[in-house]
Amino acid sequence: MRRLTAFKMLLHDRSTTAGSLLGVIAIVFLVGQQLSVLFGLFTYMSVLVDHSGADIWICSKNTENVNATGSIPVRYVDRISGLSGVEWVEPIVFGSGTFRRTDGQFQVVQVVGVRPPRFTLGPWNFHEGSLDVLFDYDGITVDRLDLNILGNPGLHQLYEINNKRVRINGITQSIRGFGGTLVFTNMVKAKEITNFAAGRCSALLVKLTPGTEVPRMIERLQSVLPLTEVISSSELSYKTRSYYIRNTGIGGSFGFSTLVGALVGIVIIMLTMYTGVLHRQKDFAVLRALGARKRDILIIVLYQSLMIGIAGIFIGFLLLAFFLNGTHGSRLPSYMPRIVPLYHALGTLLLCLLGSLLAMRKAIKVDPASVFR
Amino acid sequence: MREGIVILEGIAKDFYDGRIIRRVLKKLDLAIHAGELTIIAGPSGSGKTTLLSIMGLILQPSEGKIFIGDKEVSRYSENDLATVRMRHFGFVFQLAELIPALSVIENIIIAQALQGSRVSSSLRDRAHSLLSGFGLEDYVNGKPQQLSSGQKQRVAIARALINDPLLLLCDEPTSALDAESSTIVLDTLKRISKESERGVIMVTHDPRVFPYADRLIKIEDGAVGYDSKTDATEGMHL
Repeated sequence: MRRLTAFKMLLHDRSTTAGSLLGVIAIVFLVGQQLSVLFGLFTYMSVLVDHSGADIWICSKNTENVNATGSIPVRYVDRISGLSGVEWVEPIVFGSGTFRRTDGQFQVVQVVGVRPPRFTLGPWNFHEGSLDVLFDYDGITVDRLDLNILGNPGLHQLYEINNKRVRINGITQSIRGFGGTLVFTNMVKAKEITNFAAGRCSALLVKLTPGTEVPRMIERLQSVLPLTEVISSSELSYKTRSYYIRNTGIGGSFGFSTLVGALVGIVIIMLTMYTGVLHRQKDFAVLRALGARKRDILIIVLYQSLMIGIAGIFIGFLLLAFFLNGTHGSRLPSYMPRIVPLYHALGTLLLCLLGSLLAMRKAIKVDPASVFR
Repeated sequence: MREGIVILEGIAKDFYDGRIIRRVLKKLDLAIHAGELTIIAGPSGSGKTTLLSIMGLILQPSEGKIFIGDKEVSRYSENDLATVRMRHFGFVFQLAELIPALSVIENIIIAQALQGSRVSSSLRDRAHSLLSGFGLEDYVNGKPQQLSSGQKQRVAIARALINDPLLLLCDEPTSALDAESSTIVLDTLKRISKESERGVIMVTHDPRVFPYADRLIKIEDGAVGYDSKTDATEGMHL
């Protein structure tokens, strides 16, 4: 009966219920939207590591960020490829360049050079073409999202990056790096474009045979190549993201806006639920006089808070899903890992309960004797 | 062996307004008996509503003891007092005070389901039967807002009777009603006091109600100034 009473009171006080619902929806949507953009940026930051397919990366010493590596000798490939537990080793080259648009303007691009025939860390998710297009000496791929910023170049047409001839042979879908436009090409062309030192590469990617333990192999590789940084892919991905969060203000900015979203929501919930209890003071006094204990009143307000929370979370996530679907494939970074909505929902429910604390306090302080006045 | 449903011994009540302590009830002794409609009258500020609140275990006295039958309840915890109210008392307030969000029948049932117990079919049947007894069977699922003041007050009486209480405490139940509705409500309360040997207490300052009383108590300046069982109409000049 307490649950029914709570529900019916909410239905009866439609305006205050709508206000509280708005607060929850604001938390779910504003915080969820901020989180989806933050996680979208995370995927951009570590996109190269996450799609490498390698277990271990070997970079220059003290590398903290995959997008800012030094160089190491390519000959290290031969030093480690014969070790037991190593399935393959592939060198890659990173560098920057300026793409010359047909209108004469320039656009900075991040060049990724991969070695044939395996093309490890090569482009994926093709809209036009396939990995084979990189067998062409001048062949590059660009992303569909970047076509506009590159001046809408044509497929199979010749262009220049750092005054070096390139041909757009393939177009990918939604591959974006944190540094901006990603251009994939073969390793030789990448070295030509970026003027990379001969005999050197940006990193070595190592794939282990099934059953080989990553930490043990890292130790072994580190002892073989002591002047390098040997790191697991997952740790490099984490370090790259942490690097940007610490050094670019992204963490603080998103943290602040997420906090503001949560605060706006909690204040709305607090005020509307408090107002709701103020409106229902007489009802609570009657219930207390008839024999309700303080905890019975508390349970009614708690039920109301949970009902508003659950309904608001449902509507908020529905709106968030529309938003995420609408922005999918656009230039706006948005990505929501599967586990995040669960924590987001639980966090919102907690904020909802926190927001109703003031209302609960007011409700249990109602004097039953006031019905006689 | 104490006689009475509710017995007050040496009850005093002080209110503190931040500067001075004001004694509203002064060491009052009173016993309420079954089968009687007791009217408590008195001018505004005399302490009659405070007395009703204390008898209803809603307000704690500053001094004195309260007994229900032989059991002293004045030292009970707040929660235990709430349970006693729910099980043994029925309340009828001045303005009915039905919960507008609930239907008529839910307003009655809730008085027995406040502490989270399940609503049994027998409780629902009893609520139906009480509403039928008051001629309100057509409004079972209606909202209190659809009822007239007199009908609301009858629903409030039904709510007060759902637990088959020892004592019905009514705070000026007819003050907001027209003459016809007042008569219906007063006749009902009088009938209830005779059924099941139940006590009914009514606080009022309306002398037109006095003829219904089996016992009339006048509260003056926080004390019992008049208490007559024999000829209630004597009090009409109060």
